[in-house]
Amino acid sequence: MSITLAKGIKLQNDKTWSLDYKCTPFSNLLAVASTDRKIKILNIKPNGTKLEDVLDGTVHRKAVRSVAWRPNTDINTATLAAGSFDSTVSIWTKEIVGNDQEMDDESMDEEGIEMDLLAIIEGHENEVKCVAWSFDGNLLATCSRDKSVWIWETDEMGEEYECVSVLQEHSQDVKHVVWHPSRSLLASSSYDDTIRLWKEYDDDWECVAVLTGHEGTVWSSDFEGSNTDQLQEDEIRLVSVSDDSTARVWKYVEEDEENDGQQVWICQSILPKVHANQVYSVSWSPISGRIATSGSDGTLVIYQESERGSGTFEVVAQKELCHGVYEVNIVKWIDVEGKEMIATGGDDGYVNLWNINE
Amino acid sequence: MSDYLNENPDVIDVDELPSRKEDSNELFENFGSKEAIERKKLLLKIDHSPKSQVLHDIELLDKLLLLNNTPDLISDTESLPSENDSDTNEFQIRGSEDSNITDEYADEPADPVDVQEIYDLTAHICDPEHPLTLGQLSIVNMPDIEVHDDGNPNHLAQIVIRITPTITHCSLATLIGLGIRVRLERALPPRFRITILVKKGTHNSEQQVNKQLNDKERVAAACENEQLLGVVSKMLQTCK
Repeated sequence: MSITLAKGIKLQNDKTWSLDYKCTPFSNLLAVASTDRKIKILNIKPNGTKLEDVLDGTVHRKAVRSVAWRPNTDINTATLAAGSFDSTVSIWTKEIVGNDQEMDDESMDEEGIEMDLLAIIEGHENEVKCVAWSFDGNLLATCSRDKSVWIWETDEMGEEYECVSVLQEHSQDVKHVVWHPSRSLLASSSYDDTIRLWKEYDDDWECVAVLTGHEGTVWSSDFEGSNTDQLQEDEIRLVSVSDDSTARVWKYVEEDEENDGQQVWICQSILPKVHANQVYSVSWSPISGRIATSGSDGTLVIYQESERGSGTFEVVAQKELCHGVYEVNIVKWIDVEGKEMIATGGDDGYVNLWNINE
Repeated sequence: MSDYLNENPDVIDVDELPSRKEDSNELFENFGSKEAIERKKLLLKIDHSPKSQVLHDIELLDKLLLLNNTPDLISDTESLPSENDSDTNEFQIRGSEDSNITDEYADEPADPVDVQEIYDLTAHICDPEHPLTLGQLSIVNMPDIEVHDDGNPNHLAQIVIRITPTITHCSLATLIGLGIRVRLERALPPRFRITILVKKGTHNSEQQVNKQLNDKERVAAACENEQLLGVVSKMLQTCK
């Protein structure tokens, strides 16, 4: 298997911090967050990539650290959440088609996609590090250097946000949050070297497990998901990456009989070591079941499990210096009209799209 | 600032800080025409010292003359797509050839960075509480700098600097480390990965300080904090 560059797009001179991808009937939207405060929206097509919109750069007063598309919305609506170092979260939206007349592809191409600011959410004391939507799109989780994770409930329009819980059990900055793709289960990664799992319990959100083992900041994590329902009812796994240069796969075992509401998790495996420095980002493909990681050394690595669920992974492809000599902050599997690709964002201000050749 | 945390630090005289041994050939490398170089060589024969006043005056003159030929500056932003261009889809795009990513530096000759260069970049940073440099206070020391660089602009390079705070509970250690990081990140090419550590046994909360100084996200956020950036900028000016 090999990794080849399909396209590299320079969007800014500053760090590309985050990106998120959403397929709609008319476009494949890639949102890009950066130090320059202007969120960019790209339309990824197999035959060409187009810059659709640059969002108002005055809404945030500092770098935009994280972006996330809301899932499960009306198919004609695209809603984006963005978290910034200025401690706020902004919500943007666009009706992709207003009425039947605009349904044809041509008018889409002419108008492009312009997103409007829908809401600003305040609450965190300082830098927001990550934002993530639950699979049903009803809940938004945000986390910050203030050591807390906030869970917000919203309406169908996404205009009003009510804080339903503030989770304060991490002892240091919370770097990343991610929801399970089909369950109400949240994972948070922290500067305190741990991952915490959170579940709704008696009308509140409680920490159900603490995963310890990493020997440095945990930068991000991703749940295993499946588009083909191959996963068993109780099969829940999470992959995490850390400052300690490792990637680990964690596995849910059972409910803890001695402690009510608690779950037992184990570290199923440590992925074969490739990275020399900090690993900043990880993505677990729901299509191929492969895991991709990247970080400070700029190497993009793809791991594959010998048999799904076995916990035995091998490196099937790697690409060194995938943003030149710059660090890579984000890696994400994307599905471009049936073809699985990888998008990466680096300190060089580029977004690179990668073909995976079997 | 009247109440220093450390009232009486040991101070090294500026002239005694380690510096590169002067090589008379280096005096001729930077500027001037052939004629000027000949003139300088002649002057050096007369007064064989790089500190010769006449020589300095001539160098100054050469520098002034060079100022007239200012090279054209090209702004980085010009390489970016403007919003108006987006329809034509012609913003800066790399081809599908992988090699393009590293090609932009291909023509530059290898020029490894050495310990003295890193020392020179960091030792003259001003201490946040004393009107003295980090070199004078022995916070930055030559033997505590490691450089792993082959000079190839397409290879990653590593720098490890161990700083020695003036006292074991010095609350300014983080600020000093941040100053060093900002200086090096601004001055060095992007291939460098910089690790800044507090020298073992010289600080009470060693691990905490080390973790914070090497967290890229915290450093990036600190650099957007106007107040903090103001303090760091002051440190990066010369100590006078």
